[in-house]
Amino acid sequence: MEANLNKEPILKVNDLVVNFNAYAGTVQAVRGVSFELYEGETLAIVGESGSGKSVTTKAVLGILPKNGRIDGGEIWYHGEDMAKYTEKDFYNIRGKKISLVFQDPLSALNPIMKIGKQIMEALILSLKMPKAEAKARALELMKAVGIPEAEVRFEQYPFQFSGGMRQRIVIAIALASDPEILVCDEPTTALDVTIQAQILDLINEMKAKSNVSVIFITHDMGVVANMADRICVMYAGRIVEVGTADEIFYEPAHPYTWALLSSMPDLDTKEKLFAIPGAPPNMITPPQGDAFAPRNKYALALDFEEAPPYFKLSETHYAASWLCHPDAPKVEMPEILKNRIKRMKEAEEKHGK
Amino acid sequence: MLKYIGERLLAMFITLAIILTLVFCMIRMMPGGIYDELEDITQEQLDALYAKHNLDKPILVQFGIFIKNVVTDWDWGYSLKLQPNQTVWGILGDKIPITIYENIFSLMISIPLGIGFGILAAIKKNTWIDHVISVMVVICISVPSFVFASLLQYFIGFKLGLFPIVYEPGSTGFAMFYSMTLPIVALALNPIATITRYLRAELAETINSDFMLLARTKGLTEAQATVRHGIRNSILPILSTLVALFTNIMSGSLVIESIFSIPGMGGLMIKSINAIDYNVTQATLVFYSLISLGSILLCDLLYGVVDPRVRVGGKKE
Amino acid sequence: MKIFTPDAPEYQSVDTSKLVLVQMDETISDTKFEGKPIGFFKDAAIRFCRNKGSLIAFFVILVMIILAIFGPNFNDYGYNEQNGDIKDLPPKVPGLCKIGIMDGTRWMEGRQLYYDPNTGAGIYLDETKSLDRVSEKYAGCILKVEETGEVIAGKEMCRVKIDYYKYVGLDDDTYFWFGTDYLGRDLWTRLWRGARISLIIAFVSTFANVAIGLVYGAIAGYYGGWVDMVLMRITEIIAAIPQIVIVTLFMLYFGAGLTSIIFALLIQNWIGTARMIRTQFYRYKGYEYVLAARTLGVKDFALIFKHILPNSIGPIITRAMIAIPSAIFTESFLAYLGLGVQAPDTSMGILLSDGQKSLMQYPYKVWCPAIVISLLMIAFNMLANGLRDAFDPTQRGV
Repeated sequence: MEANLNKEPILKVNDLVVNFNAYAGTVQAVRGVSFELYEGETLAIVGESGSGKSVTTKAVLGILPKNGRIDGGEIWYHGEDMAKYTEKDFYNIRGKKISLVFQDPLSALNPIMKIGKQIMEALILSLKMPKAEAKARALELMKAVGIPEAEVRFEQYPFQFSGGMRQRIVIAIALASDPEILVCDEPTTALDVTIQAQILDLINEMKAKSNVSVIFITHDMGVVANMADRICVMYAGRIVEVGTADEIFYEPAHPYTWALLSSMPDLDTKEKLFAIPGAPPNMITPPQGDAFAPRNKYALALDFEEAPPYFKLSETHYAASWLCHPDAPKVEMPEILKNRIKRMKEAEEKHGK
Repeated sequence: MLKYIGERLLAMFITLAIILTLVFCMIRMMPGGIYDELEDITQEQLDALYAKHNLDKPILVQFGIFIKNVVTDWDWGYSLKLQPNQTVWGILGDKIPITIYENIFSLMISIPLGIGFGILAAIKKNTWIDHVISVMVVICISVPSFVFASLLQYFIGFKLGLFPIVYEPGSTGFAMFYSMTLPIVALALNPIATITRYLRAELAETINSDFMLLARTKGLTEAQATVRHGIRNSILPILSTLVALFTNIMSGSLVIESIFSIPGMGGLMIKSINAIDYNVTQATLVFYSLISLGSILLCDLLYGVVDPRVRVGGKKE
Repeated sequence: MKIFTPDAPEYQSVDTSKLVLVQMDETISDTKFEGKPIGFFKDAAIRFCRNKGSLIAFFVILVMIILAIFGPNFNDYGYNEQNGDIKDLPPKVPGLCKIGIMDGTRWMEGRQLYYDPNTGAGIYLDETKSLDRVSEKYAGCILKVEETGEVIAGKEMCRVKIDYYKYVGLDDDTYFWFGTDYLGRDLWTRLWRGARISLIIAFVSTFANVAIGLVYGAIAGYYGGWVDMVLMRITEIIAAIPQIVIVTLFMLYFGAGLTSIIFALLIQNWIGTARMIRTQFYRYKGYEYVLAARTLGVKDFALIFKHILPNSIGPIITRAMIAIPSAIFTESFLAYLGLGVQAPDTSMGILLSDGQKSLMQYPYKVWCPAIVISLLMIAFNMLANGLRDAFDPTQRGV
């Protein structure tokens, strides 16, 4: 779980700004997001609905909806700034270098096209693979993602597949061209809990096989714990804290991360589960200063006036909170969370993770 | 699939039976005798006429005879007043092909045009092209086909003299098509607009669907994704509107035929209604029912062929 | 990415006195949603008014309805006032006639150039070709003579533009705004009277259609089970019969007339409404809030009318707006088939099909009702589109 500090990142996003034209005004969905993705790692982006995590990755893939646009920042990939890419440039990236796994496998597959054809399609059209070869590759992929009787399944339609099976197919399609980066946009949210674990295992397994880098988007801290090397916590279009999984789970520094971790259900917590008060801000008129301040018990006066910069807590750990300022009052994380972290550490030592 | 076809066929026959009974009985229970205006006719002659056409028997017996004749000999009886002593089938036989041509031609030009405009409007959504198409669609859907027929007949036919203002009887081949141009166009405008509107809506929705996004993220260009996933998937639901469209064209052709003096089923039906010719009226009504039921059946079967959810699963989702 | 460095000038100026906890002891409650709550209808009204097209459509319909109510009284002619002497008069409108349109003139084709005392036909009395020297029949009403160069049976032919009103012996102050028909009846009066009849047919049949569909669909959707099965089978059978067939049969059986047209329009049209309402009920009766109301002991009646039905108001209004133009269409269609309202009363369909018979000679007889019916149909369809978008913003542009 060591960060790859000495390596060059393969993807580097710098101060990305994405806005949407909406019925009621301009929605500032992403307001200056920066992160790096290193080869072979899994970077999780965590946040509640509307925090901008999906939009960030859509911008990376060049699939923003028509009313959305990149209004600032850079996306560096192989020495080129994808923020300036045209649709044509993205064509050489999507499905070849960067792939996407969707949230809802039920709607991600074309209902009236055979499964096999949907896997082969990209291989034939975009990688110019001969048909026979594409078929062999498709079958191989289907077996790799754990579809039994691949030859039979190849000729079937999506409605003959279960949700988990469909998600496996979507993963197979995403991996068809050996991409460098796999973006998983809440890949387990729409699935049954029992299937979730299988899909997560599959992603980990595929990652181990092909050394693909994964950007894993989720709102579920529980899922993150099993998957991520590093974690970005997003709130209201900004990353509020970034660090290795250990750092985020054991030494969280931003009050929002505290709140997120406290609200995560687990078996041992005896107290009432913590709920974050208030509602997420309106992104047409985001609040000045720290967007989380109005909902934050630990808010400082300055939080309401000026957006905090990132405070470096370790080589890999940054948090955007004035609480980290040397002159700020020292605030301890909530008691409930302290206990919980203690338990998590004990459990980890016991299992020798 | 076989079970599906069987179900459809059975449903069609039940409906047809109901329609036949209804048509037969209601026409015969109409107020007013059919020979009322024949004044210098003796009671014996009248009785003879009634007996000849079985009109003196109870209605159910008449119905039985009618069904038996149709099923065994394809005998639809004689025209009572329109062209007395001619068989109904003989009168219909000449007129059916004309009506069918006219309707099929209209449908054949409206499907490709409607699909073309629909795709164009959806791809260029919210541009001026889309707006122009949308305005045309509202006009063509709203303005009745017989108003278009009058416009075309007066301006294109009469003032400009580009096409004949009425159908030329007895013409064949290209000449027939040529003299039918205006009625066909008048009939096609509404279906074109209907298909355009429907396809635009379908395609605009499909373009925003997840599987279109997946097609793009797996490496297809926007054009490839639109053609292979968007258009194919949005044309499918259009099939179900084709039945309604065809029935629309058929009923529209009733009026259009009389405007352009086309000797088809429409004119015949109007004449037979006004002349109170039971046998002809009922045959024309049965003809329209058959056409409409037939197109429903055809459409259901087509659905089965093109939609795997029906073909494999045996049901519409 | 802005990283905090204690030495950077911008962070030197940070007001450290503001680094104090400010809401440690406050209970942070869920804040009220910003903005004023807007009711369903107000919201729809706002959206509707933003749509220029449907606003215009709304006013067009309003004007048409006012004209249909009061239009026949704008002049002194009765809708069935026949006068064989003034039949087929072209339109003449005060004001407009000065600028050459709708001025009561008409081109008459195929006239003999010279007066022939034996037949009484022909224009000029002699070869001076002076408009002062024309046959008595045409005296004072010829505006223009155009020689066509044709010679038929030894006679030179021409076409003449004449003031038709003078020609039939009317004075300059007589106006028939939309002309007269083949019985000399004022077409303005008849047109608006016809529009009135057509609108009455459309509104009454649509109202009944919605009422029947609502009750039927609500029963089927709310009770479900075998009730639903039986009710829906019935609608399937009725719907399977082609509309022309069932409507024609109905009209033949009950005879032409206002009431039977309204009923004929109803036979099948309510089915669509019933199906829509049924679907709505099916969807909403499973919702938690309905279940909650039911567990609290709310009666069926209240559940249907207070909890489920309000959700359907938008679609119902939209559907009614679509049903009106289709009823107007079907009425005209029946008129063409000779199954319209009974003479001497009239409707837009009757006017159209009557006018169609002499389209080449007197096209204005078709254009006036054609424009009115087209405007009405377009306006109602646009209004329906606007209302659908207003009630259901997710369907916008669809």
